[in-house]
Amino acid sequence: MSKLSSTYFRSLRSCSPGRSIQCQRPYICLRHNKTTTPGRRCFTSGAPDRASTVGVFTPKAAALFVATGAGLFYYFRYEKQKLLEQRQKELESRSVGRAHVGGPFTLTTHENRPFSDKDLLGKWNFVYFGFTNCPDICPAELDKIGSVLTSLEKDYGTLFQPVFISVDPARDSISQMKTYLMDFHPRIIGLTGDYATVKSTCKAYRVYFSTPPDADPKGDYLVDHSIYVYLMDPNGQFVEAFGQSSTPDEVVERVKKEISEFEKETGRKV
Amino acid sequence: MSWFSRSSSEESPAATRQDRQKCWESRDQYFECLDAAGVLTAGEEGTACSKSKLQYEKSCAKSWIDYFNKRRVLAEKQKDMLAQSHLQSQEVKRKL
Repeated sequence: MSKLSSTYFRSLRSCSPGRSIQCQRPYICLRHNKTTTPGRRCFTSGAPDRASTVGVFTPKAAALFVATGAGLFYYFRYEKQKLLEQRQKELESRSVGRAHVGGPFTLTTHENRPFSDKDLLGKWNFVYFGFTNCPDICPAELDKIGSVLTSLEKDYGTLFQPVFISVDPARDSISQMKTYLMDFHPRIIGLTGDYATVKSTCKAYRVYFSTPPDADPKGDYLVDHSIYVYLMDPNGQFVEAFGQSSTPDEVVERVKKEISEFEKETGRKV
Repeated sequence: MSWFSRSSSEESPAATRQDRQKCWESRDQYFECLDAAGVLTAGEEGTACSKSKLQYEKSCAKSWIDYFNKRRVLAEKQKDMLAQSHLQSQEVKRKL
């Protein structure tokens, strides 16, 4: 109690230096303060002539507080709305938030010609990784690419370039690729190379494959690998990866949508 | 790193569309026989499907046969699991 009152008086003293020392009772002191230093108030709540005020709030301050609160509430709501709209726009835009898939490579086609990532430019590319000894998934996916191409070429002509990259370079020689691709859409380009190049290409495309570097070229083995068909736009940028469950119709629809958006942005189809 | 120097004559030719078709058909026949015999894992059927098995082994590479046989077992397990999860979700719905 004594500590409390000493603090109390000290604070009063600071309000009216030199005079409040004589004060013995707080309410006298308060009155005293009011008359000597009207600009500074130590307490207002105890003052009997301020009965209309509640705490530190005057009606005016309360109104201002509520108005500011409401103002801030609506302002933040507006800002949040704006942010959401912007994010939505970004999501819809093709160029933002695109996965970093693809990269430089130089491989050899089944016609024994060099083929690099530069050759992807100016075409809509379907890039698929597989191997010629693949039991059923690769041929099914290549057939799917073929039927997608047949359907798209009816509407757009030859804007498309299907590429089949071998993940089994030990066995998939150029002639092997050539023989293998005779069964599929004639425009599919088969690519192969040495192990290191194939490996780095796979890495750039985020493709997993299990071929060991010292695989026996005559061995009877299978290669475990990622089975996505990548759609790359005419700038060589990744657009979409289609899994096994995507039907040809779904792929065709998606590609059409991408082409029309690309045309809206750039004024051309490729 | 020996394959760069190999001659093309060493290559085993890739399976053609006809080869694949033939292999898949013989596989389906063999698996049908296994189903009829009530056997899931290939090789556990005894002599029940020896004729279709012979055809299967003649039409497909060994690596393919291993792959298809393993997948048959996996697919069956998956079917069980899907059925089970379907049952469970039905049960949950009934309780709600």
